[in-house]
Amino acid sequence: MLEGLYSAAAGMSAQQEQLDAIGNDLANESTTGYKSERFGFRDLLYSQVEQVGTTSATVGAGAGGQVIGRDGSQGAIQQTGDPLDLAIEGEGYFQVKRPGGQISLTRGGAFGVDASGQLTAHDGSLLSPPITIPRGVSAGEVSIAQDGTVSAHGRRLGQIALVTVASPDHLLADGAGGLSVTAASGPTRPVSGAHIVQGALESSNVDLAGEMSQMMITQRAFQLTSTAIHTQAQMLSIANQLRA
Amino acid sequence: MDLGLYIAASGMVAEQTRQDQLTNDLANAMTPGYKPLSTSQRSFGSILMSNTRTGAAIGSLSTNVALGGTTVNMAPGAIRSTGQPLDFAISGPGFFAVRTAGGVRYTRDGQFTTSAQGQLVDAAGNPVLDGRGAPIAVPAKGTVPAAALGVYELKGASRQGENLFTGAATAGAAGTVRSGALEASSVDAARTTAGMMGALSSFQSEQQAIQAIDQTLTAASTQVGSLNGGGG
Repeated sequence: MLEGLYSAAAGMSAQQEQLDAIGNDLANESTTGYKSERFGFRDLLYSQVEQVGTTSATVGAGAGGQVIGRDGSQGAIQQTGDPLDLAIEGEGYFQVKRPGGQISLTRGGAFGVDASGQLTAHDGSLLSPPITIPRGVSAGEVSIAQDGTVSAHGRRLGQIALVTVASPDHLLADGAGGLSVTAASGPTRPVSGAHIVQGALESSNVDLAGEMSQMMITQRAFQLTSTAIHTQAQMLSIANQLRA
Repeated sequence: MDLGLYIAASGMVAEQTRQDQLTNDLANAMTPGYKPLSTSQRSFGSILMSNTRTGAAIGSLSTNVALGGTTVNMAPGAIRSTGQPLDFAISGPGFFAVRTAGGVRYTRDGQFTTSAQGQLVDAAGNPVLDGRGAPIAVPAKGTVPAAALGVYELKGASRQGENLFTGAATAGAAGTVRSGALEASSVDAARTTAGMMGALSSFQSEQQAIQAIDQTLTAASTQVGSLNGGGG
């Protein structure tokens, strides 16, 4: 008897999850290299309602939602003029090593130089494999080629490796602006066909207008499903009044 | 006499089932490729009423409101462009096939991704199949041509949950696959809400019928046979 209440509630919580995903995209609208989330709904289990002597009817348990992955499309490349700002044109990620030692993938290419001259991400993670800028060479004298070769005064200092995985949708956001490799994403492999743009950053690919209209649609669906709860509650109350 | 009580009660149960189905439809108003369910109601086990004194037939009386089986309404949903290379929609009839642990299942939800093995998989990780029943490899550039996906015709489609259907399938349905698009849920919010209001009022009418019969029974049990002929 109460199934309908719960299937409506399941639908509302799935829609709430989508609103959360939209909220996350909107909050990261100006995060360098951020990719918006792909959200998917699904129906849940079905059960047979039997009534004496009749064929049964199928009743579903509502809806569920999940983030399927990320929109892989290229974000706009914006010139910043900072020689250590790097944007990736094409697929792939920079590899950085977190202070704890774990490898993280990111498309946020705002790099700097630490006290020992090594290229680091904004949070102090080292670029992996590491690249050291020698003493006496200023950031402005470093040139980074499209294939990631770092050089200064004609001397080669190393190469920035771009990597990707078989299934970027299954990379796990590590909460520090990076993504970590999981069993479902597959191991990293070198990227071919992508190149690095020096002095520029990749904007997020969040489509504001699209997100706002999706938010309105989801809010309406949420509202509608809540009327289903109201109707179910009215029916329960009518059933309760049978012996009035 | 109390037959009416049971007829009205079975009607209330049937309306509750209808309401639960409509609620499920509304909950899935955003589910790609979702098809609404409908269950018909029919009368059950009619009996012939006759006048006990003369034996003349009065007419038939149904003894129950029965559920007449559930059908899936396969009307197509709107095809919405998403720009995602691994979103697919079937325009026209047909289903995508995915291989699950329990066997091959069919879906109209084409929101796919890649697996660690580089295969095209659905949101639950089940490989999507081509027209010959083989998994589809996703090339390094991350796009799959729409023609690579198999479209199957499904007879006797029955719902499994997780956007999947089972049934007797044959390859080569008439529908064509479009990439970068998803089929929206076919739930019509206005029609579903109107249906819910209808089910609610029928439910209420049947409750009132039960109360009316109950009043008649009360009168029969307390007033019939009392000497003053009424008032109890």
